[in-house]
Amino acid sequence: MIFAVLLITGIAGAGMYVMKLRSDNATLKANQLKLETAIEDQTKLLEQQKQDFQAIMESNKKLNVLINTFKKDLQDLDKRFTKKNRDIGKLAIERTKSIERIVNGGGKNAARCIELASGAEHTEEELKATLKSEINPECPTLANPNYVPFQ
Amino acid sequence: MYHFNKIFALALIVFLTGCSIGGEKKIKIFSVEQPREKLNYEMPTPLQMEEIYWHIITSENAEEVFKKLEEAGIDPVLFGITDKDFQVLARNFAQIRQKLQETNNLLQEYKKYYEDTDNSK
Repeated sequence: MIFAVLLITGIAGAGMYVMKLRSDNATLKANQLKLETAIEDQTKLLEQQKQDFQAIMESNKKLNVLINTFKKDLQDLDKRFTKKNRDIGKLAIERTKSIERIVNGGGKNAARCIELASGAEHTEEELKATLKSEINPECPTLANPNYVPFQ
Repeated sequence: MYHFNKIFALALIVFLTGCSIGGEKKIKIFSVEQPREKLNYEMPTPLQMEEIYWHIITSENAEEVFKKLEEAGIDPVLFGITDKDFQVLARNFAQIRQKLQETNNLLQEYKKYYEDTDNSK
């Protein structure tokens, strides 16, 4: 009788142990699946962060180039007025008509530069310009993207 | 009487627990990620500048310039600046244009960053 009770208890215990093992196994499998998904998500996130970082770097570089171009444009403008101790006032007294023509041409070019800066489309002529005689000297980098100044 | 009590007790149990058979329905709460609406502004309309004409007046040609203005039916009056101020004006215009270009570029970069990729969330 005692033996039978022990046997039954043993079998029941073993059964319960197997059930527990099965339940543990299922939990571990679920955990494994969650971890794999988490790793995949993390990898995607890292990849996205890498791409974002590259995009930010590229954008910063572009804006820095633009700001440097601005500085150069302003220096060029100053040079045009003061090159070789040039005095625009005296020149205007001596050659009034030609300076008037130059000033009006410059004004027209400057106005076009403002239009382009505000988002206007380039004309075919502006895009094709590669020679110094063809460019808009007020803002060559903006108006004539295909013009490479001679260094 | 004994059977009646048994049936009564059984019925009472059924009445008291009847509503809980099948259990309470569980409320499921789930969240759906709704991406932020895009701010689809059109890019600002480009400016269209009007042409102006610069007159250069010296002590020598002043009379001739005013005479020409009168002949053309324009009031013989000019708003003048000196050669130095003309340089300042040119520089100021260049700076305004650069600021405009910088702002437009920034706007495009923001648009590109937040709308071309999946960074809009």
